[in-house]
Amino acid sequence: MICPGCSCLCDDIEIMNGVVRNACRRGAEIFLKYKENRSKPIVNGKEVDVDKAIDKAVEILKSSKNPVVYGFDTTPVEVQKLAIDLAEKLNAYIDDTSSFCLGDLVELVLKKEVPTTTLDDVRNYAYVIVYWGANPYHSLSRHMSKYTYYPRGEKRQKGYEEDRFLVVVDVRKSETAMLAKTNARYIVVDNDLELIDSFFKVMEGKAAKYANEVSAVIRELRKSDFNVIFGGLGLKYGLRDLKPFVELVKKLNEISPTYFIPAGFHANMRGFNETLFEKTGFVNKYSFRDNTSKDSYAFVELLKNDTIDSALIVGTDPVKSLPFEIVSKLKKIKTIVVDPRNSLTAKIADVVIPSAISGIEQSGTMVRSDGVRVKLDVIEERDVNDYYVMKRILEGL
Amino acid sequence: MAITPMDIYKYLPKTNCKKCGENTCMSFAFKLLSREKKLEDCTPLFEEKKYEEYRKKLEELLKPLEEATETGLVVKEELCVGCGNCVVVCPVHVAEDPQGAGIGKGPTIEDPILRVENGVVKIVNMGKCRRYGKERILCVACRDNCPSEAISFLEG
Repeated sequence: MICPGCSCLCDDIEIMNGVVRNACRRGAEIFLKYKENRSKPIVNGKEVDVDKAIDKAVEILKSSKNPVVYGFDTTPVEVQKLAIDLAEKLNAYIDDTSSFCLGDLVELVLKKEVPTTTLDDVRNYAYVIVYWGANPYHSLSRHMSKYTYYPRGEKRQKGYEEDRFLVVVDVRKSETAMLAKTNARYIVVDNDLELIDSFFKVMEGKAAKYANEVSAVIRELRKSDFNVIFGGLGLKYGLRDLKPFVELVKKLNEISPTYFIPAGFHANMRGFNETLFEKTGFVNKYSFRDNTSKDSYAFVELLKNDTIDSALIVGTDPVKSLPFEIVSKLKKIKTIVVDPRNSLTAKIADVVIPSAISGIEQSGTMVRSDGVRVKLDVIEERDVNDYYVMKRILEGL
Repeated sequence: MAITPMDIYKYLPKTNCKKCGENTCMSFAFKLLSREKKLEDCTPLFEEKKYEEYRKKLEELLKPLEEATETGLVVKEELCVGCGNCVVVCPVHVAEDPQGAGIGKGPTIEDPILRVENGVVKIVNMGKCRRYGKERILCVACRDNCPSEAISFLEG
């Protein structure tokens, strides 16, 4: 089975006599508890049948002047395509969680500003492995054991103590940083820009704030012909402007081939970014009315500035993930939620349409954090899934 | 907390009476910790009243030994996130399952030492561990790479 828990999309999950093998705690929960806390079709607080809920959703979207279509990070690419068609038809805003998550880092990769590679190649060839502002222990539990630092690979047969060099860049000693012991470096930063600056200065032979750490990393880079940097939220929010980082990756490639992969996110966030990028050339926060992407078109900003009057939220739970003063504005607008679970957002929505859990009840394709497309397996296919609901809404319009 | 032979020795009679079959109380302490001897083998502790308090302390001290596996490995499932680092770094897994656990996947052999089940690590077959049996090696690879301190050993 493929685990739809995060963008690692682990492909070695087995279910034996009700026991989920090999999945991490987050992944196993999805398989063990997918029948719990399910949503029901609801219109204005009253339970109705699915058709009525869909009709009401169509009615709201038809009469809306400024709708937003938001979410889709846990739905397959096929559903994301429909979502983009729907947003185009409505002349709506479209956004996903990547606007406050790692969308900018995916954009770097899709626009080919930095060289990238696949996690399988990382396992087989990578020597220096940098986690910059990422703590995979929490966000992608199996990242290090399945793809990067711990497994043995084609050209890395001796194991992590000799054949890998781990670098963890973080502001605090995270669980991942604690693993940086033998043949590893943990760099505590209080300003990511200073660390980038240190790299440039050391390469020019000048004194720098992080000279010791940076020289050690550069020494190791010279030993190898395959290195990789994983960037997390710490990198995005530590820098704000990613240009210096792009320059750094370019400069490091003069020493030794160094690739970049965003560290990871929701199961199919990259799928959304790629699908929208193919259609429009932008990865998120897009408006089909203006045919452009702007910071003020991000879901958070749209809510904050009262730009929208209705929201179609699919497969995400903003009430859980965003600050109260922002999501409390959802109560002022018409909200339609399509979600298999009775999420916190579903509890405050005007219309709730139940759907299916990707990877367990609905098949499709998802995109792993490194861009590899993975076909999902299903345990029991459901007829009313995201694809069906989106198709029906699209037809209704 | 790790238990050392010295911690145990403190509460033994320290008379080197040899009733347990060991030459000294200190070596009895070592054997207690490696579970080759039982507390009951020290008969004075149970027969003489003046040792009663010490015996009770020892019983309490040695309680974790009963919970630990044969190799002294203790897994606290409530701390585990199921990252699988322990499964992948285990040298026995790498040797016996080079195309499974060796390259980061879940173990493909039937009886691995550790496996992640329902999101947390479970001990499946301790007999394979390098710490098991007479010619054991004090390997700590799994503990060293556990970021959540869910794995520990009795000796610390």
